[in-house]
Amino acid sequence: MASLEPVNAVLLIGAALVLLGIFSSLVATRFGAPLLLVFLVVGMLAGEDGPGGIEFADYQATYLIGSLALSIILFDGGLRTRLSTFRGALAPALLLSTLGVLITAGITGGVAALLIGGLTPLQGLLLGAIVASTDAAAVFFLLRTGGLRLQSRVGSLLEIESGTNDPMAVFLVLMLTELLLAGVDTPGWELLRHLAEQGAIGAALGLAGGFAVVGLLNRVQMPGGLHPLFVVAVAVAIYAATSLLGGSGLLAVYLAGLVVANRPVRAYPSIVGFHDAATWLCQIVMFIVLGLLVTPGTLLDYVLPGILLALVLILVARPLAVWLCLWPFGFEDKEKLFISWVGLRGAVSIFLAAIPTLTGVAYGEAFFNIAFFVVLVSLLVQGWSLTGVARYLGMALRRTAPSVQRVELDIPGQTEREMVGYPISTDSLILALSRLPAWARVVLVVREREILSAAEAGPLHPGDYVYILTPPDRVRRLDRLFEESPDVTRRLTAPFGELPLNGEARLAEVAGLYGLTLPDAERELTVAGYFDAHLGASAQPGVRLRLGAATLVARSLEAGRVRRAGLQLDELVEELVATALARHGLRERLGKLGRPGTSGRLGRRLRRIRLPLPRRRPRATADPAPDAPYDASSEQ
Amino acid sequence: MEMTDLITPASVIPALRVTSKKQALQELAKRAAQITGLPERQIFEVLIERERLGPTGIGHGIAIPHGKLAALDRLYALFARLETPIDFDAVDEQPVDLICLLLAPEAAGADHLKALARVSRLLRDRATCEKLRGTESRDALYALLTESPASHAA
Repeated sequence: MASLEPVNAVLLIGAALVLLGIFSSLVATRFGAPLLLVFLVVGMLAGEDGPGGIEFADYQATYLIGSLALSIILFDGGLRTRLSTFRGALAPALLLSTLGVLITAGITGGVAALLIGGLTPLQGLLLGAIVASTDAAAVFFLLRTGGLRLQSRVGSLLEIESGTNDPMAVFLVLMLTELLLAGVDTPGWELLRHLAEQGAIGAALGLAGGFAVVGLLNRVQMPGGLHPLFVVAVAVAIYAATSLLGGSGLLAVYLAGLVVANRPVRAYPSIVGFHDAATWLCQIVMFIVLGLLVTPGTLLDYVLPGILLALVLILVARPLAVWLCLWPFGFEDKEKLFISWVGLRGAVSIFLAAIPTLTGVAYGEAFFNIAFFVVLVSLLVQGWSLTGVARYLGMALRRTAPSVQRVELDIPGQTEREMVGYPISTDSLILALSRLPAWARVVLVVREREILSAAEAGPLHPGDYVYILTPPDRVRRLDRLFEESPDVTRRLTAPFGELPLNGEARLAEVAGLYGLTLPDAERELTVAGYFDAHLGASAQPGVRLRLGAATLVARSLEAGRVRRAGLQLDELVEELVATALARHGLRERLGKLGRPGTSGRLGRRLRRIRLPLPRRRPRATADPAPDAPYDASSEQ
Repeated sequence: MEMTDLITPASVIPALRVTSKKQALQELAKRAAQITGLPERQIFEVLIERERLGPTGIGHGIAIPHGKLAALDRLYALFARLETPIDFDAVDEQPVDLICLLLAPEAAGADHLKALARVSRLLRDRATCEKLRGTESRDALYALLTESPASHAA
């Protein structure tokens, strides 16, 4: 067993480092420190100059781990990019990720060549190219974990740009490395031809690979747990095969991920879930390994050029590239300023810096150390200030409520809708009001691990997760309804003035008891019969019908007929809502729900939903009454 | 509409000992008969009639049996706190231990609904219900029913 001991020791150290990275991330998020930097620092501390004292200078292993991790991270980046978000941002983003990278690399490289004695223009350009790409991992990561919700145009521009510019930087670095190794000293046509070739092969294989993944996933029956693994394996295969065939592997995996994300695919959620974990692991491992790789001692020699180059990059090259590329698209100065500031450098730059070192280009070590410094400065300065700058420039949308998830949906033939998820706690304001505006439509409710349709779920309970479909511009109003508001909800938790009725209850008796005026024909019906008459066999729990000055809500069914229903008397509901609103000053929060005590507005809105309800009410009738009370259980 | 318009200390039953829904309604009808002066049988039938339309257990251990009586002179409410919860066939299938009975004259119209609203608003307040459950004296229960914060709001 003695021969296994080194292996076990390596495993133990590796696992301990990953755990250290995970735990330090817990601390780091509290201070808003960029997590990637934390992973880097963990690696550095474990390395030869830190307390860990691990000697690691295996560039070959780094290249292997880096390639593997980057292919998975970039595939994941593609997997999370829904093309619908590209609308209006595609052209500027692509320009920024191609021309922008060239401009950035050119300016930074030029300055580097001037700054660092002995560099040829091409070597300078290589250094520029290494640090030219906006890092997708860093941007995706900081935008998501920072809880930052950007204006959609700026947000998607940044996501697409950072997701698509890595390949450009990779071509540049690979090309320049090859050219330098071949003894070429000045950029020329050869470079451009190579770039085009890489791009074309990468794009072709990536798209083909993506469609192959989709086809295989949907046609081949495999055990459920294997779907995500299959996808990861194919992603790595696409990366490797494309690179072997002389294309850009990174572009290929990104595009493959993009295809998978935007085609209907079996097991998509489990694939995304798995990739979430895989991407985390890749980021942690990659950055820790990179941290191990560098020698902080020698890094000190590059402090000055590193900082200078970082400043040139942040303050001159990137803004200039942004301004030039976005010129034709009518972005505001503030937007351009922000986009410039989010030019985060990250893993890709360090990864790219490993390539010249690996292949033995002159000054390779120096490039690596300088790139490392530039990334460090960028992550520290830009990463840390990102949220603040976004607020300052008015790019961040205010978050008033704890919406857990948001997904933009592209529904055919419809205007834009967003799906928003909220957790319901005992203090959620929505419980007190128990109604949603008509423009918000409950899609599903997760209750005790079960996924229920709106109709099945009925009224919301604490502990539920509710997913609501809503026009994007109304999300903020919806957020307010899901705020936690302990003093209001404390008193308003039980059912909302709803009187239970059996399916066989005679409407004549109900009407008599509660003073409802009904046509004679309807008086003869039972509650269940009333639902049958208006909805046929399509009654479902949660379906509501008007009954005189009240609303009848189907609560449970038996053999297709309503067994139990609830009667919501307008006066009762109205008074309860109005009192609750008046008492807690909620009226403004809800917009114009009606004044307390006055009969009418709310009632009129209720009555506006006349019978019989068409199964799919045209949106035109839903919109004029944006605040009409609505129950989570209402199903149109 | 205030609770004081509906309820008197005499119509509060601090610890009703019953084992079934029917027995509870019978017991309440008996008390209501004493207070309103109407025949017990008539009150019980009105309540049963409403229960036939649908059980009035509105959830969270609360039931609001109610009905209309032609001969009644005004609205009456009775409140009973049960010693042990009983099955009431409530909407949430929870046993019921707080019952508020509401009787209205045939011609009450909107007042009937307002009283219903008033009672359900009061009993929807979870904190009030917890206090009611933890109180055994008639006067304290009456005080809670009529002086809860909610009663000042309307």
